[in-house]
Amino acid sequence: MTQPIASGCASVGHTGLTRPVLREIASLLKKLAKTGECDAIDLRSLPMSNEDRYELETALGRGEVHANVMVAGDSEVWETFYPGVWWVRHFGANHEIASETILITDVPDILKSDAEDIKRAAVRLDADLIEKEQGTEKTSDRENAHE
Amino acid sequence: MSDDAPLGDMLAKRGVSRRAFLKYAAYTASIMALPATSTNVIAQALATAKRQSVIWLSFQECTGCTESLTRSFSPTLEDLIFDFISLDYHHTLQAVSGDAAENARHAAMVENKGKYIVVVDGSVPIKDDGVYSTIAGMTNLDMLNETVKDAFAVVSVGTCAAFGGIPHAKPNPTGAVAISEIIKDKPLINISGCPPIPEAITGTLSYILSFGKIPELDHLGRPKAFFGETIHDRCYRRPFYERGMFAKSFDDEGARNGWCLYELGCKGPVAYNACATLKWNGGTSFPIQSGHGCLGCSEPDFWDMGGFYKPLSTSLDGLGKTAAIAAAAGAVIGTGSALLARRHQENYLKDLADKDEEI
Repeated sequence: MTQPIASGCASVGHTGLTRPVLREIASLLKKLAKTGECDAIDLRSLPMSNEDRYELETALGRGEVHANVMVAGDSEVWETFYPGVWWVRHFGANHEIASETILITDVPDILKSDAEDIKRAAVRLDADLIEKEQGTEKTSDRENAHE
Repeated sequence: MSDDAPLGDMLAKRGVSRRAFLKYAAYTASIMALPATSTNVIAQALATAKRQSVIWLSFQECTGCTESLTRSFSPTLEDLIFDFISLDYHHTLQAVSGDAAENARHAAMVENKGKYIVVVDGSVPIKDDGVYSTIAGMTNLDMLNETVKDAFAVVSVGTCAAFGGIPHAKPNPTGAVAISEIIKDKPLINISGCPPIPEAITGTLSYILSFGKIPELDHLGRPKAFFGETIHDRCYRRPFYERGMFAKSFDDEGARNGWCLYELGCKGPVAYNACATLKWNGGTSFPIQSGHGCLGCSEPDFWDMGGFYKPLSTSLDGLGKTAAIAAAAGAVIGTGSALLARRHQENYLKDLADKDEEI
């Protein structure tokens, strides 16, 4: 499978940055486990090559959760092999990676439903149910009229 | 829905959830070099912000800056900025023209008094009372002064607006000047580049929208997030520079192997911009990666920098010998090359200032 190209990375071979980033992730994961404090690493802020990113992605592996988020383009969110370490990849124009972050957290905020969105959804679902029920009543009226 | 509604409500009405804000906030935090953990704060600020009125004035320009901002073929993450701002006037893009266009500008100024942002691309000619560029019967100078009067901030987009750019190049027949030469009493941000990287424009506007203030600026009024380092500082060909491996011509072994382009005129050591990291066309490439030296287009007077294909070592008097030695002995000097690159910038700016005084 062709790996997505990260905007801003050059294919110039390994720079050796993968190991220090892994160590930082390990340290942040320990902190999360001990104190519950979340953190994040913006991969785009680091001078990583494409090869470094592939190496990091391979080292962290994939866990039990993978989600596609379809808003303002596509995003991929997955838990790595290490629970609490999440990879969030946002795509922009031409499916180029616009931002890429390692989140050290129990669950990334982008996977949660927002409180305001939930309120709106509750109102919308009520309205949709009423509309469906009214549609069913009208159909029944038409059926009864023909009998 | 009125433009007074928060952005969150406005987008929700179109079926876009708050997740869009989180995604855009992550993107903005990344390109503005803000902590990755600030995403939630930015998302919340954006969701509760009101749509920002923007009046875009185009003067002595080629429209390249507008092209840079608007190149997109499908609704994307990057397009969200056009939901977050209300582009109330842009005489190149807007559908109306003539009096209707000017009335739209005046209406936006009145409705958003004290709160609108004026974005300017292009320089302003001031020679002969500014007659060399007029719009709707008004000189650029008069239109700028009239529009900026009740603005919250001014953003000079592109090297022409930021520093005078191409119209300002010798002999500058129209007396073209930068916006900062005219506007002295408003917060002013320069986003230079010919054109600027689109993320520099959108990221800066998003920052203002999220935090209600202008970002940290460098000594030339440019956001440090994008102009805090030179191209040379982040160039992936830097290791070749350090080892003294230079392309001598555009088709030689060095060029084909991606060696440093210093000797082919690259102005990377004196050019502050984000091209080496953010790159162009959605991160596809940038001039050096495509095999051509940096032109230094985000710097003042880059058209008069001595020639695109002359090395820095021969462009400016007084620097030649030192820079030539550094270039030839890059491997020996090692980290000293980085310090020398900084020295190039300081001497170059001083040299420009001295030359301006002579003119």
